[in-house]
Amino acid sequence: MATLAFLFAYITPYMAVVVFFGGLAYRVFRWWRKPPAPAHLSLFPRPQSRLGRLLDALVDMFTLKGLLRVNPLLWAGGFIMHLGLLFVLVGHIRAFTDFYFLWKLLNWGKEQQHAFSAVAGTIAGTLFTIPLFYLLARRWSGAVKWLSVPEDFFVLFLLIGIALTGFHMRLLRTVEIEELHRFFAGLASFRWQPVPKSAGPAFIWHFALVQLLMVYFPFGKLSHTIGSVLSKMVARS
Amino acid sequence: MLAKFLDTIRARITRPLQYYQDICVRCGACIDACHFYVASGSPAHIPAYRMMLVKKLLQQPNHGWKGRGILGWYRETGMADERMVTELRQALWECTGCRRCSVFCPFDLDTALMVNVGRYALLQEGMGMEMAAEIGNAEVSKGEIIDALREFYVDQVRELEGRIREEWGVSDLRIPVDEPARVLYVPVVGEHAIIPLAKIFYAAQESWSLSLFTATNHSFFVGDIEKAKQAAHWIVEEARRLGVQVIAYAECGHATRTLLNFWDHWFGDEISGIQRVSVVQLVAAYLKEGRIRVREGAFDGPMTYHDPCNLGRNAGIYEEPRLLIRAVATDFRELTPNRELNWCCGGGGGMIAEPGMLEVRMKAGQPKVEQIQRTGARWVVTTCENCKTQLADLSERYGLGVEVRGVVDLIADALV
Repeated sequence: MATLAFLFAYITPYMAVVVFFGGLAYRVFRWWRKPPAPAHLSLFPRPQSRLGRLLDALVDMFTLKGLLRVNPLLWAGGFIMHLGLLFVLVGHIRAFTDFYFLWKLLNWGKEQQHAFSAVAGTIAGTLFTIPLFYLLARRWSGAVKWLSVPEDFFVLFLLIGIALTGFHMRLLRTVEIEELHRFFAGLASFRWQPVPKSAGPAFIWHFALVQLLMVYFPFGKLSHTIGSVLSKMVARS
Repeated sequence: MLAKFLDTIRARITRPLQYYQDICVRCGACIDACHFYVASGSPAHIPAYRMMLVKKLLQQPNHGWKGRGILGWYRETGMADERMVTELRQALWECTGCRRCSVFCPFDLDTALMVNVGRYALLQEGMGMEMAAEIGNAEVSKGEIIDALREFYVDQVRELEGRIREEWGVSDLRIPVDEPARVLYVPVVGEHAIIPLAKIFYAAQESWSLSLFTATNHSFFVGDIEKAKQAAHWIVEEARRLGVQVIAYAECGHATRTLLNFWDHWFGDEISGIQRVSVVQLVAAYLKEGRIRVREGAFDGPMTYHDPCNLGRNAGIYEEPRLLIRAVATDFRELTPNRELNWCCGGGGGMIAEPGMLEVRMKAGQPKVEQIQRTGARWVVTTCENCKTQLADLSERYGLGVEVRGVVDLIADALV
């Protein structure tokens, strides 16, 4: 167990980063080497100007307005989950550095920073996690069950696992962020520092699952993160 | 068989198809979009399932490694069996390529593009709409023997011209064929596509010429893009020979879409300086410019307009038909939903040409039937030959008692 924890803390993170970026590059290369679209595959109505089309694609990408019109329930599930994820990711900046400028601007002390993080982090995590359970339940419902393949369950369980280990640290432990900063700075500079004790046992699980996600990310359906902007542009070409 | 099928399909995977397969998250937003699925409840009709089937096929190991073990289970590669072939035929042939699912899709994935490629590969294995493919071949070879056909064709047009002159009592109405002109009008098969336009061009005093060819392109339906290009190229050559400024396509969905959205890629500089329009756009412009006048309220009674998929969401022609209808109707009622969310008639994608597909398209037309019934319309007007045939068949089968008309017919009948 100690060996495994050591691997996940100090060895595999480097591999995960390499596979994540390398995989994304490979994915884009795989798309790029194919011949381009055989025609204008536009859907109408669409904006007239090139800039208008790009803006429309981006607005649709960040709001999913097209989906809202035809399936509000699925929109709510998808949109809130992604919004929660965005907040969670922004919050995780504190694991590597801190919002020093913001705290100074607000003139908040340690206490206040911590209280704010606790509340905002819990809300963001909840926004992220509850829709995941809806999306999981949906996998067995009606016609969606025909569309559900092992990958779909793998991704949902992985994300739920990451969320729950995250909640464990957020709600049941008081994490010293200085410990986190030291640990990640150590990883980045190859001068390894101890695993943050204050985060408890969930930390290594959380960290390991995120690495698994990073390794899987470029090779499965989560590549929609970068692919959807291409397909949206092609549908407005 | 499978190896060759896979090679055919792999060779035709373009960039969008590659990322469509990679990024589809199978969220199921497309389930409610497909009229085939709504009517049949069969999983192979769900757009994302169609995509999955092809993806599974493409992940079949080529040789040696059998895709067993955990990766084989994960990718579900162990199922290239009878059931898969049945599902594949359903998924690829029972699709009208209407792209309603692309409007529903949060990533705007184009299932119809993949269906098109899959069809071609199936056809190479002798499975699918062979009749449509044969008509497509005839459209290609027509250009090679056009000189032999010309005289016969011109004779028929002269006879038609004589009839219209008599019926209308105008002795100077002409149907020019193969003459230098401003507009080259490309009809579909049948005099019903020529008569209304002969009248409208006469009234608008347009300099026009009737094409020796037809707009329809059945090779496009069966995914044979090389042949589709060859068939369309005869019209490009004709247009250049006659020095026309405008190519106007008859009320025909798939052909109009290729004209407006595919020709740039197919012919590039060859067609620079030639304006390409649907005849509906041309006639709407005549009305707006006052070059033709129509009797207001010539059609008294409830009338509705069916947006053909290929003119609507696939080419963006929404306003012109409505402008023309409003000019002659007293009671215009929209279908709900309409425009880009309009239900497909269920007869597109070349099915009309295939007698064996009659039952399939009658079933797929059910959402359309309900939609028309809700309007209480007496006339259903549309701008696509496929839709017209299908809607008339639906009206007969389900006892709708509606009359199906083309927009330009209405205008020709209401000319003053």
